[in-house]
Amino acid sequence: MSKSSVYLDYNATTPLSDTVFEQLPQLLSLWGNPSSIHLASRGPKQILREARRKLADYLKCSPLEIIFNSGASEGNNTVLKSVWSYYRPQNIYGNSVKNEFLISSVEHPSVLKAAQFLESEGAVVKLIPINRAGELDLEFIKNNISEKTALVSVMYANNEVGVVFPISQIARWAQEKGALVHCDAVQALGKTHFNIQELPVDYLTLSAHKFYSLKGLGVLYVRKNSPYVNLVHGGGQERARRGGTENILGLAAFDVMLNQLSLVTEKEQHVEQLRNYFEQKVKHKISKVYINCEKTKRLANTSSLIIEGVDGETLLVSLDLKGFAVSTGAACSSGNPEPSPVLLALGLTKAEAQNSLRVSLGWATSQEEIDLFIEELVSTVERLRALEAEEKIKGQSSSDAFAFSQKGFSL
Amino acid sequence: MSNNINHQSTLQDSNSSIKPQKKKKVLVAMSGGVDSSVAAALLVEQGYEVVGATMQVWDYSSCEITEGNGTCCSSLDVDDARSVADRLDIPFYVLNCEAKFKASVIDPFIQAYLNGQTPLPCVNCNTYLKFDHLVKKMKELECDYLATGHYAQIIQNEENGSYQIKTSEDDWKDQTYFLFTIDPAIVPHLLFPVGHLKKPEVRKIAEEKNLVVAKKKDSTGICFVGERGYDTFLKENVSQEILNSKKGLLKRYPSGEVMASHEGIHLYTIGQSKGLGMTYHEKLFVLKIDPLTNTVWVGDEKYLFYDEVDVVEPHLITQFNDNEPIQVKIRYQHKGSEASLTKTEFGYKLKFKEPQRAITPGQAAVFYSQDKVLLGGGWIKI
Repeated sequence: MSKSSVYLDYNATTPLSDTVFEQLPQLLSLWGNPSSIHLASRGPKQILREARRKLADYLKCSPLEIIFNSGASEGNNTVLKSVWSYYRPQNIYGNSVKNEFLISSVEHPSVLKAAQFLESEGAVVKLIPINRAGELDLEFIKNNISEKTALVSVMYANNEVGVVFPISQIARWAQEKGALVHCDAVQALGKTHFNIQELPVDYLTLSAHKFYSLKGLGVLYVRKNSPYVNLVHGGGQERARRGGTENILGLAAFDVMLNQLSLVTEKEQHVEQLRNYFEQKVKHKISKVYINCEKTKRLANTSSLIIEGVDGETLLVSLDLKGFAVSTGAACSSGNPEPSPVLLALGLTKAEAQNSLRVSLGWATSQEEIDLFIEELVSTVERLRALEAEEKIKGQSSSDAFAFSQKGFSL
Repeated sequence: MSNNINHQSTLQDSNSSIKPQKKKKVLVAMSGGVDSSVAAALLVEQGYEVVGATMQVWDYSSCEITEGNGTCCSSLDVDDARSVADRLDIPFYVLNCEAKFKASVIDPFIQAYLNGQTPLPCVNCNTYLKFDHLVKKMKELECDYLATGHYAQIIQNEENGSYQIKTSEDDWKDQTYFLFTIDPAIVPHLLFPVGHLKKPEVRKIAEEKNLVVAKKKDSTGICFVGERGYDTFLKENVSQEILNSKKGLLKRYPSGEVMASHEGIHLYTIGQSKGLGMTYHEKLFVLKIDPLTNTVWVGDEKYLFYDEVDVVEPHLITQFNDNEPIQVKIRYQHKGSEASLTKTEFGYKLKFKEPQRAITPGQAAVFYSQDKVLLGGGWIKI
């Protein structure tokens, strides 16, 4: 029996769609520099134009408000640093007129670390707390947006637990006080419909590799007349807003997926049904499992679980050896798997965070895959718990025991 | 949408039709050094289903890393281990053991020095991490064996069939000194694939298999201390206040004459004659460190020799008879010396046939049979 892998880590990244994969050989022929005058630039120029137009149509904004870059990390950095840079003269000569950044405590590291950097430059960064149910503290937001707020940055949906935040409400409060609003919508594209009219934000970040296309391509939406300072100065690309020869291959692959945006709702329903089925089965077949933020509005594809009595790292490795790809919290590159800061911000203990698993479904996920995964998960959890019990009897257990933290969260 | 993703998990491939039984699965502890890399390679060659793992024991982001030098588990070493795993086409994981390592290895290491002892952190690592935590992982990941790159051998006793640990073929590299705390119940589940080889042969195999680590220097010293020296390590990890409280006097034995004051008992080890912090016309050696008075006793070399020592917290892997002549090593790469063992309340009293030089509290006394079987050992206490 050959083992095929079951991939359930779509929030980390997505495989190329079959359509993109099939078209790749043709897309590879788009090697010309779009800035050239000759024939080689025509295809690339067309891609830039078409992709931009399609995306603008979808987002209900102007093509002039779309900037292509290397990814969402670049986009997020550009927004934060642009706004800071823009207000700096006022801050220096006008005594810190607009030097505050209001950011959710569960943003992606590219936002949090950029904010930390701005802090070292004198910015005041306020982190919006979140409760165990995954709800942002809205009172805190209201009370902390003032004339001093330069930017409010809240993601559309959290990559770790999937909760969807009330962006339009937050955007309105920000606008009332004259603050700019940024939304990192990386986890939203392809998972749910949204556009700039529904989300009246000033900046929006997107990433291609979360939407079945290549890595190294991102989109930054910048509302007309919003503060913008280049992160990368250079050859005049993107109307001189982002230097560097464009990643045409990445953009062409992304463009293929833009043709499939009409499928988003249908796919969302399909994935939601599977995710709910998965959670129902897991709760039924495995004891002492807790689903994070279950009752809060979430992306249709994400399921974050705490499985008591099982070390997350061991579970992940066991599942990988059997061909199942899931994750525990943010992937780390340093080789030092710290518990997810998002789970800690939600109020989970270190032990609970360590016993967490994140499953994220995608357009290609099938009922069969979910059933195979449930079967493997159930048997692995049973086996690991039995081993743990054996160790305890021998008195040799060295793992952390924990009880569910039941402190004040809404079920 | 295509979902077949190429990944490293070892699968039942077409070869399984030739070997009808299920492959035995081995978890290999890979440090990124030559020995454990070749161990993994040999196991793959021998037809095992191999899973490689490295223990992340220390946060190396804050440390200086020098290219080419093994420091055991620095992130460059992890990359090396991963690169070897890739070449061997085996899955590879980094297992986070920082908290456990700190509690079972680093903290006792620091405490021992502050108590005037010379610790043996590698034994604690073996006791609590390699042969405890990793054994647990072996079971959790449904592996049949745990393998390491240690220079040691597993043999099966001809008479009673029990599994025993024997010294390696390479006398100089032999590492059985550090293995005396292994639980005899797990010995049947251990593999030491390079234990029957000499170091030059191991390097040769690494070169033949084109492993990136073939020419890598061996790690020397303590993995979490590295090049900076343990006194620097202590300064970085212990408050100056506590270190200052370890200051005291250097006294001459047996006269009791005060020779000088010293900067801390943690800076001395038994048998030391250089860097005492005092000059004298005769060569003097550290004879004893008293943590209660912070006194470091120095004296003539002849006082370094003892033929008796108390060994506490003993652990036996293989039983031995009362009259059996036992070879005892009192430090790593000690040649071993014959001793007779008498049971005491806390362990054993060893009486050496010949007086031994600089028996050091904090080190281990490890027992071997005449045919080099590792019997067990205990901790030296004078």
